[in-house]
Amino acid sequence: MNLNEKVYDISEVGSIEPEGDREIVLQIGPAHPGSGHMRIKAWMDGDIITKVDADIGFVHRTSEWLSERRQFIKAIPIVERIMLPDTVHANLAYVLALEKILDVEPPPRAQYLRSLAAEINRITSHLYGIGLFGIFLGSSTVYMWAFGDREPFIDLMEMLTGARITNSYIVPGGVRWEMPKGFKEKAESTLQYMENRFNDYNDMWVKNPVVEARTVNVGVVDRNRAIKLGVVGPNLRASGVDYDTRKASPYAAYKDIDFEVPRMDHGDTYDRLLIRIEEIKQSIRIIRQILKDIPEGKIIADSIYSQLNPVMKKVFEQQQRVMFPAFFNQMRPASAESIARVEAGRGEIFFYLRTSGDKYPYRFRWVTPSFRNLAYFTDVAVGYKLADLPAIYGSIDYFPPEADR
Amino acid sequence: MGILLLIIWLIQDLLYLIVFPGLIVAMVLVILLIYLERKIAAKVQMRFGPLYVSRKVGGALQSISDLLRFSFQEFILPVGSDSIAFLMAPGFMFAFAMMPLIFIPVGPYYSYLFPSTLTILFSVALITITPIYAIIVGWASDNKFSFIGSLREALLVISYEIPLLLSVIAMVIVYKTLNYIPAVAFQETHLPGIILNPIAALVFIIVAIRSTGRFPFDITEADSELVMGLYTEYSALFFGIGMATPYIELYALSLIFSLLFLGGWWPASGHATGLLAGLFMPGVMVIIKAFIVMIVLVFLRAVYPRYRVDQAIRSGWERIIYLGIIAVIISILEAIII
Repeated sequence: MNLNEKVYDISEVGSIEPEGDREIVLQIGPAHPGSGHMRIKAWMDGDIITKVDADIGFVHRTSEWLSERRQFIKAIPIVERIMLPDTVHANLAYVLALEKILDVEPPPRAQYLRSLAAEINRITSHLYGIGLFGIFLGSSTVYMWAFGDREPFIDLMEMLTGARITNSYIVPGGVRWEMPKGFKEKAESTLQYMENRFNDYNDMWVKNPVVEARTVNVGVVDRNRAIKLGVVGPNLRASGVDYDTRKASPYAAYKDIDFEVPRMDHGDTYDRLLIRIEEIKQSIRIIRQILKDIPEGKIIADSIYSQLNPVMKKVFEQQQRVMFPAFFNQMRPASAESIARVEAGRGEIFFYLRTSGDKYPYRFRWVTPSFRNLAYFTDVAVGYKLADLPAIYGSIDYFPPEADR
Repeated sequence: MGILLLIIWLIQDLLYLIVFPGLIVAMVLVILLIYLERKIAAKVQMRFGPLYVSRKVGGALQSISDLLRFSFQEFILPVGSDSIAFLMAPGFMFAFAMMPLIFIPVGPYYSYLFPSTLTILFSVALITITPIYAIIVGWASDNKFSFIGSLREALLVISYEIPLLLSVIAMVIVYKTLNYIPAVAFQETHLPGIILNPIAALVFIIVAIRSTGRFPFDITEADSELVMGLYTEYSALFFGIGMATPYIELYALSLIFSLLFLGGWWPASGHATGLLAGLFMPGVMVIIKAFIVMIVLVFLRAVYPRYRVDQAIRSGWERIIYLGIIAVIISILEAIII
């Protein structure tokens, strides 16, 4: 093999030559207040964007590579750290794929607790997105409000799971902690607080004339185009497609829960803002139902519980928390493959797991919603003005580490 | 005797320019204003704002600490920049932002610097010079974001200068003078300008927000689009001067607003003689009014996001200019009646 052979011309990769005399090329990022951890190359004709290219990979964390070299249970913290605003969903997607291989069915109470954690997490994730959208349009107030209102929900997660962000709450066969005493009351008061705050958000943000001027009819994606571009999650539903993984292939407790999938018609930036607020309202409704209907019972599957040693069983009886014996690390599932789909805050997570009878996964592959929404972003911004770029970028709620994985 | 008068005249002018209401008072007010701006916005946004510098006085020294930090930072001259223009433009910008104060009297007797009967005309004309240096700043920086910022500044200045002049012309028609002192005297005998012609006041306020880059017209420095707009390549004290200039402009415009629309030194009407009551009390009154206007304008940061540049230009040409024409028509009718 000739090592000097030119296999890849590096000069072609980052080509940023403007086309024609009128164009200039803006390199927005990776150190730019409006880019996040990526570089947006924008070809501009005057104030009009003619082409957008997203240069991603600045925060690639090799989550798949790392997980293929660790025991199964140790991949949970790794997938969580990829989707920091949305940890429960990453955790849940991986555990669902693993449970299918292990053939474990969690008890109903654990299913409800999983949905509870997921919905609290969805609210924090949407508030995160709304806050960043606010600062992209220049409203520091909504930025601070959304991040401040995220705190009560993070406190709820701390009460439920013992950690604020990286909970590692969901484990194969169930969840790790029982719902603590006083949780229902605290959750109800938090939900009421958030419902009262919606009026403030309406006055300051949703009904603000400047916001309407900046977002209505900006970045329009109609139904067919959204489906063709492979958009997922709230961005897809903002374009009028009635698709939600929670309804399409129910997991956790969603088949027993009555909720609606909000949908918008127009698919512009304003609809993508409204749909997140509507989804927070639906999440509040789901949490209320879960707190009302949650069945009694164990939080871990019997097949897992029977393997605990007496000390751990005693801990479980007294403190209602699951301690795993060390041999769990040495788990060697039979050779099999499985997929799992979870509706995360930003859209559908697709998980593929293949085992070979070894104690490490043979193949560990996942596709995150932000990655799928990125193609959408580079396509939709063309033809709009430079000032619309942060508006569209903020409205798709793109989280760079999640896309880079 | 003549020399003595000349010396008194010089001392008074220096005091006027450098101490009150000139450089020192302006800087103190700007520092106080930046602190209040951050503190009020923080109150709306459920946080503390500046706190940890001088905790006992609620972080009031934060702006001074920022100023000191700017003073001792390393200054970086970009390689591709037009260095002379790059270095000179912020200074000129600051100087021209201060210059309208020469023609703005803060009391009936405390304004001898350039004895003129055309003070309104001169001060407004000087205000319109500052943006030229903003455009030079953007051009000299050799940065695409600065360049786009300066283009936006140029487009916005063109679309908002005419409404500013129309609103001032409207008040000149009512007061039948181009001098601030008779204008304030007219308001003392009749009504404050904001009641005589509220539309002209509205136009003036909108243009003041626009030309000082307050929200929702924070378009030339839109950080999510243009990093720091005009000042992307600036550092150290030059950056500090660039940041202070809009506040000085805001100070000058607020002084003009309080003289033209809020009755100037109205309750403390300078009829009393003596140093304190005759000279300083009217000035303090004007500055208090101007400061309230400034606080209201900087508070908008907590309420509005920013407009897109084409929306701001369109509203300038399609709405604000007609409001200005309506204000002039109202003034003509009033001038016929009064």
